[in-house]
Amino acid sequence: MGKSEQVSSGQMSSGPGNSEPVKRYPFRKYCEVLDRLEQTRGTKAKQTLFVELLRDIQHHGTLEDGVLACRFVSEGAFDPTSGLTGRLGARSQGMWVSEYCEIDYDKVFKPCRTATGSGSETIELLLTNMPHSGSKQAQPDTRTPWTLHDMDTSFGLMARAKKSEDKRALFEQWLKTLTPLEIKMALRMLGGGSLRIGFEARSLLQTLAKVSGSSLEHIRYAHMVLGSVSETARFVFEDRLDEASFSMFRPIAFMLASPVESLEALPWASVRLEEKLDGVRCQVHASVDRVELYSRDLNPLTQTFPDVVVEMKRAQSSLGGSFVLDGEVLAFDPSTKRILPFLDLQKRLGVKKPSSTLMNDVPVIFVAYDLLVLDEKEAFSQSLEQRRSQLTSVCEKASLPYSRQFEVATPQQCQRAFEQALSHGNEGLMIKQVDSPYAFGQRSHHWQKLKEPEGALDTIIMYAHAGSGKRGGTYSDFTLGVAVANDDRFSESFIPIGKAYGGYTNAELRRLNQELKKLVVEKFGPTLSLRPGLVVELEFDSIQANKRTKAGYTLRFPRFRSIRWDLGPDDVDTLQEVERLAQAKSMLTRPSMDTLADKAPIILPNG
Amino acid sequence: MISSGGHGIFLKDFHLSLDNSHSEADVVFVSHAHADHLPRNRSCAVVCSAPTLAFMRKRGYKGDALVLDWQTPTSLNTIRQHFGVPCTRKGSGESVSREATLTLYPAGHILGSAMILVESEDGSLLYTGDVKTPASPATEGVAWPSTVDELIIEATFGLPIYKWKPTHEIQQEMLSFAQETLEAGETPLFLGYNLGKGQEILHLLEPLDHRKMIHGGGFPYCEVYQQAGITLGNVEPYNRETCEGAILVGPTSVLSSGFASNVERLRVAQCSGWAALASRRTQLNLDRGFALSDHLDFFELLDVCDALQPRKIHITHSPTPDVVAHFLEQRGHQAQFLDLTMQQEEELDG
Repeated sequence: MGKSEQVSSGQMSSGPGNSEPVKRYPFRKYCEVLDRLEQTRGTKAKQTLFVELLRDIQHHGTLEDGVLACRFVSEGAFDPTSGLTGRLGARSQGMWVSEYCEIDYDKVFKPCRTATGSGSETIELLLTNMPHSGSKQAQPDTRTPWTLHDMDTSFGLMARAKKSEDKRALFEQWLKTLTPLEIKMALRMLGGGSLRIGFEARSLLQTLAKVSGSSLEHIRYAHMVLGSVSETARFVFEDRLDEASFSMFRPIAFMLASPVESLEALPWASVRLEEKLDGVRCQVHASVDRVELYSRDLNPLTQTFPDVVVEMKRAQSSLGGSFVLDGEVLAFDPSTKRILPFLDLQKRLGVKKPSSTLMNDVPVIFVAYDLLVLDEKEAFSQSLEQRRSQLTSVCEKASLPYSRQFEVATPQQCQRAFEQALSHGNEGLMIKQVDSPYAFGQRSHHWQKLKEPEGALDTIIMYAHAGSGKRGGTYSDFTLGVAVANDDRFSESFIPIGKAYGGYTNAELRRLNQELKKLVVEKFGPTLSLRPGLVVELEFDSIQANKRTKAGYTLRFPRFRSIRWDLGPDDVDTLQEVERLAQAKSMLTRPSMDTLADKAPIILPNG
Repeated sequence: MISSGGHGIFLKDFHLSLDNSHSEADVVFVSHAHADHLPRNRSCAVVCSAPTLAFMRKRGYKGDALVLDWQTPTSLNTIRQHFGVPCTRKGSGESVSREATLTLYPAGHILGSAMILVESEDGSLLYTGDVKTPASPATEGVAWPSTVDELIIEATFGLPIYKWKPTHEIQQEMLSFAQETLEAGETPLFLGYNLGKGQEILHLLEPLDHRKMIHGGGFPYCEVYQQAGITLGNVEPYNRETCEGAILVGPTSVLSSGFASNVERLRVAQCSGWAALASRRTQLNLDRGFALSDHLDFFELLDVCDALQPRKIHITHSPTPDVVAHFLEQRGHQAQFLDLTMQQEEELDG
């Protein structure tokens, strides 16, 4: 990208210099650019288009508009560090739009959504096409279109609206004011998922690097310490990227592990192992007068785990200074010193301000495994070894539990340690490079995880979904079901248990695509409904209870182990089998940390 | 009176098949020359329009055929006599099957596509085959009888998410896409079925006056279009060696056949009603999707029913007949699904 394409930083007007009304950038114009991004192929062409947009905002908007433009496209309606969410249920959206368009939700809206495969796209198309809604739609030309700032305000109100009718009132304001395209984009932003235009946070960070003339490393660092893409953009626009630094209570993007590719190739002398704990990832920020907990997606967990907060306050006062720790919240019985199953911990997830009964029933602890900041000083650029030595002394001094690290010399020893971890009821092993910094964001090879699928089920293919991108033109995603034919709770023969996207070879996928053509019952847009006929042995990481699904359970990371051409619909595992597996896991008694002695995965404070 | 299945309709009283070849049929009506509407039996007595017969001959149909002129009522018994089918049972002299008057109306779907009006003592029945209104510009247009008693109508796009833009607007977008691609030194490829959509694309792009190539399977049909007075401009059959820099037209299957794979930079656009959906556009990894359909959209379907005011409506070719029926009933029509279990071979061309 040439110099001429750069948005010169620092020149974006930060507001009116005099009494002239503030020019704010229209949301409609912004959405039209997003629509063009969707229709543009190639990352480079998309980036060029986005640079043009930023330049246009520079001339016709404010610096804040530039920040909002970056936030909406990469993070959605809310800054991830704001703690705000404003989800609108898919069903509510559909019902409200149906009423507005004077159509029947079940008879019309639902089949349309099945055909498009997207609620927001259905809403856009119905609002565009239905004569009733069209006549009610405000004339876009005669009204003042909403600005990015207006949209930001409306998102904020949506996040604070508690009651369904308040949310509905805000949504109806959208219906009366925004174009169908704006509504589709706004709903996707509000949902916090992808805008499905092929331009995500990663592309935006690359664009910001080009715009600012900084290295991608520098941008990534700023992103890590600032915790959000839009804040990174603000620092770029204000030409003070160099000042981007960590501050307490702005969560740092978590370091993630990639799966081990080959045990043989690992440099055993320079890695440390930990048992992989089956809990909830958590970042603790503690200073003299405040403690906050953050989840892996940088949302606050403080109110969910007040017992952990109390512990951290105690630890902070015994240390005196501030700290930021990375670790895992586990359900843990303090009397027997046993880790409790994840199904127990699930009872506490999503429960804000839990009752004392619940906290007694499911006691939790925070197990630290990394130290990111100590006494306001950043430690994340130091090596793992240096961070761990500080972590050990902090945890010893403050009586906090932390993970035990150990070394192995050969793949065989690693394999034994792995089996031991499984026998402890843990998920497997984490393998970390001693000389690596705490690296933000993308899965890095500095941390690797060794896991084994927890189980496998023989399942039936119920639906096939068309893939996109390089898998375009073939059916590559599958909804798989278990048998309930002899189950009085259900009237159908099979119900869905999970969706799998991988685990097959290209040749298998081709054969599968040929075979499934013979089983097609119905076709809705990108989805084929199939007669029972194809059996897949499906492996998964774990089974979780999930009341919102028909089966009552969901599988984590389901993927194909093999396509069982030799089996038929009668061989498919039943829902009872799923229930039995889930029960068995929750009944498994894990060993006490006391009996494991120096093999214990967690080092607990003395006494 | 109507029985369906076997990929088409059989009017038992008249021994008349519509888009299939029932074993008891005296006469088979072929609405248009797309594969899923052609009779499986290659030696039956066919009535159709002149261009449809020309296409069928090019597709290898060797059986008997009688061309009916547009909007010219013809007696079914006359047709039976033409084919030498007995109208009365041997000996007794009683009539075997009943008399009716058949009239073809242009359907605007592809060149030669026809609707058939069957009039008898029972009243009138219109079978649309595949229909597009307003008509595709590469056809004879579309015309409707003033009223019908019973209507059998296709609803391929039977959901209110489908509403087409006027063809001239889509044409402008297609012209810009082709022009921008050529100006960037790249080669545009438009995806459309070899018969019908392919020639419509050529016709719409004619104003560019640029050399065009169509897949070898589609080229022979171009002659029939040109004879019917539909201009396609400068068009040759696809030639791998010289295709770079030409405007290319071919069916979706060319994406996996090595077609034009020697061209360094290809920009691919699908021309299909299905391109109205984002999932269809991403599925084929396209540069552009133009929602250029050769079927009527949902709202046009409702308007047709309102205008014809049939006593009864049968919906065919629809993945979502319940939705269509629901809207028609709301407007005071009596509607039901007629399942032809027709194979959707041309579906991607929609």
